[in-house]
Amino acid sequence: MTIEISIRGVCMEFPGADGVKHVLDNISYDVQEHHFVSIVGPSGVGKTTLLRLLTGLAKPTSGEIQVSGQRISGPPKGLAVVLQDYTRSLMPWLTVEKNIALTLRKQKLGRANMRERIESSLEEVGLAGTGKSYPWQLSGGMQQRASIARALATRPDILVMDEPFASVDAQTRFDLEDLVLKVRDDFGITTVMVTHDIDEAVYLSDEIVVLHGKPAQVRDVVTVDVPFPRSQMQTRNDPRFAELRTHVYAMVRGLE
Amino acid sequence: MRLWRWLLAIVIGAWLPLLLVWWWWTASAESTNPFFPPLELIWTRFQELWLFAEWPTHVLPSLRNLAFGYAIGVVVGVIGGALLGSSRTAARYVEPVVDFMRSIPPVATVPVFIIFFGLDASMRIAAIAVAATFPILISTIQGVRATDPTLLATASVFRLSPSETLWRVRLPAAMPIVFSGLQVGLQIAFVVTIASEYLGSGFGIGAFTLIAADSFLILDAWTGVLLMGLLGYAIATAFDIVERISLRWYFGQKKLA
Repeated sequence: MTIEISIRGVCMEFPGADGVKHVLDNISYDVQEHHFVSIVGPSGVGKTTLLRLLTGLAKPTSGEIQVSGQRISGPPKGLAVVLQDYTRSLMPWLTVEKNIALTLRKQKLGRANMRERIESSLEEVGLAGTGKSYPWQLSGGMQQRASIARALATRPDILVMDEPFASVDAQTRFDLEDLVLKVRDDFGITTVMVTHDIDEAVYLSDEIVVLHGKPAQVRDVVTVDVPFPRSQMQTRNDPRFAELRTHVYAMVRGLE
Repeated sequence: MRLWRWLLAIVIGAWLPLLLVWWWWTASAESTNPFFPPLELIWTRFQELWLFAEWPTHVLPSLRNLAFGYAIGVVVGVIGGALLGSSRTAARYVEPVVDFMRSIPPVATVPVFIIFFGLDASMRIAAIAVAATFPILISTIQGVRATDPTLLATASVFRLSPSETLWRVRLPAAMPIVFSGLQVGLQIAFVVTIASEYLGSGFGIGAFTLIAADSFLILDAWTGVLLMGLLGYAIATAFDIVERISLRWYFGQKKLA
């Protein structure tokens, strides 16, 4: 197995009103290629901070992050994001297809290829034919599908998601979870997701990284040995699923 | 249904102006006061002058100055504001000057422009442009500065260059705020258009009205005032339409929220 992302001894401090705030302490973890990894932990533990470091939006105080063996100093090539707040992540003045086109500018695809790329990405997420709509004309679930399509259109090696399904209703959440699994299978994308939802983490992941403490450390790395393909009906009834979610829940709550 | 709502809006909007016109018309009908002629006489004279005999001499020069001056103000204000708004350092250096300049009543700068440009149209256009620039510049700086951090993070992760981020993300996102500056700028530009004609000009609506009043052509002066009001209203309405169309995404989003 090849290592896609390597987090090495990452510490993060923020200057605060009452002295330096130490958020992350010596975090080390390797994300295998094609793996689905979830980062969980109690609220405010620093999950989103770690995610900002992974996407190159912030630099660690010490330690480093490597993507495909290269130390990153900004947003790395071949990485795409899906953020929780789709209403503020999709550009409301652009139609869905123009939103996608905006992120493809760098790739200099040419008109026909660009068209094809936009159409196929929308089709992949079940949004064929909505390219001409504005994001705000779509339901929340559809907007999040659109931002997944935008990410896919760049043909990323790595997909990073920050609580991607936290703002949609439960029903839509299940659909989107299955969509994300399908996307991972179709494209073999390495996926890192931050989530509050432990069930969701177990359902989707190959591995779960549990952060705990102040400053946060890697409390444990849980291998989710629940067989693929997963399904909302079977997987969630699997005794191993229940065991793992209890285990992860206890760690997040600091009970274990 | 939609047509009814539309008609209702017109009735609600129009009843008071119509009432006022009717009141002016009847109240002034018997007037013998030379300074307050009957509206009927003003209206007759208005038709002779402004539908559309005197347009080439007086209306078109004013509108041309306004158009050129405002266009310059828009370009300088929006581009300058976008650049200043995206750089904290640049804004810090320039802000005191901008604040000082915008504190000067725009009309008061006309004499200064006469010194530099003389009395021809270039002076008027320059004065209009400068007056229009500041509100546009300031609202653009504010708008660009207020870009949602989530949008910026998105642009950054998808590796848009700084200039793509500015022109394709920050400026479009700022447009609702920019438009409020464009509106204020247009109002000021119209005021300066008229005021700049009060000095050293024989042409233009402002010049016409002032000369008429000075020559005791009271009726003519009244028609000038009426024309300015109507033109100002027409310009504001045109602006609203342009805004509605340009910011369709913004109003559409707000309506659904």
